[in-house]
Parts: sequence; C-alpha cells; structure tokens
Amino acid sequence: MNNRLKVLRAERNWSQADLANALGVSRQTVNALETGRYDPSLPLAFKIAHVFGHPIESIFSE
Amino acid sequence: MAKGLKSVFLWSAVGLAALIALVFVAAAVVGYFSAQGSLDEDRAIVWIMGAFVVLIMVGSMAAGAAWMRSIDEAAREAHKAAWYWGGSGGMAVGGVLLCMATLPQAGAIRIPSWLDGRTDPAAYAATGAFGMMLLMLIGYTVVWAWWWITRMRE
Repeated sequence: MNNRLKVLRAERNWSQADLANALGVSRQTVNALETGRYDPSLPLAFKIAHVFGHPIESIFSE
Repeated sequence: MAKGLKSVFLWSAVGLAALIALVFVAAAVVGYFSAQGSLDEDRAIVWIMGAFVVLIMVGSMAAGAAWMRSIDEAAREAHKAAWYWGGSGGMAVGGVLLCMATLPQAGAIRIPSWLDGRTDPAAYAATGAFGMMLLMLIGYTVVWAWWWITRMRE
C-alpha cells in the first residue's frame, strides 16, 4: 500500500515526532508508515485522515 | 519509552515486592508454628507456594494487559506476530520431540530432568513443560526481532 504521509507532513513542516504525538504512536511507527513498511489499522488510518483533514482514499492508495 | 509503560513497570515491581514480602511473612509464620509441632510444614509450604504462583500468574496477566495497552499499535502487532508465528513455530519443534517421546523406544533413553536431578514423573512433566515454553520463547524472540528489524529500521 502506498501513502502520501511524508508529503502531507512536509507541507505542514511537521517532524516525524510531531506527527507521532498527534497520532499517539511512536516516531518509529511514523517512519515505518512513511516508508511503506507498515500498513496502519483502519482506526489509525482514520486518525491519520482526521489529523491531515483529508479523506482516507486521498492519503492511501493500492 | 511508551506513555504509561513506566507506571506498568513501577506497579509490577511494587506488586512483586509485596508478594515476596508476603511469602517471607507466611514462611516465618509457618516456621514458627511447625517448630512448635502444631503445623505440617510440607503441606503448608505447598499451599503457600500454590497461592504465591497463582497470584504471580494473575499479576503477570494483569501487567501484560496493561503493558499491551500502553504500547502503540505497531509494537502490538509485532508481539501478536511473535506470539502466533514464533510461539507456534516453537510448539511445532516441541511437538516433534513430544511425538518422538511417546514411542516405546524412547523409554530406553535416559533424559536428565531439569529439576535438581529428580527422576519422578512430576519432575519429568515439569521438564517437558519448561522445554516447550523455552522453545516457544525462542521462536517468539526470533520472530519479534525479525518483525521489528524488517519494519522499524531507520
């Protein structure tokens, strides 16, 4: 699964730690999400969508 | 360290220390009354140790639940994968040994028990259980490390 997390984070000038705090996960988890090595659960995907104010389908793609 | 993890460690340590203190007190009481000849020491030790290990297991489950809630979902997934694949893998290896041990020919093998050289059935049962747990733990550790390194490396 691909995602635009890194781009969206960069647009907001957030560090990985900032995003991790907003999502309530560790910085390593954010790194794993951005590099596509870990796919989030549906609740976490919804949380990511909420934090960035975008629909899930505009952040994640197959 | 994940949020809440510190309090899990703290409360686990406090609980364990309290339990150990309780066992010392109980042992002192048993020692006193058995010295007076009013208590069967062996029976009392079995009951105290039984209660102690039950409390340890209940406490471990509670601490495990609190710890799982305190870590984030990726860390939780790593442990779920390790529990299933590592534990099952370890059990599969142990299963081979278990099946081989059921053969009549295995009766000729002299296997030392891990409990101070004891050779009674309870010692062998405990040795088998310990062996299975050890294999599962090895599998768990290997799979957890593999999961973590492949996904969480920088």
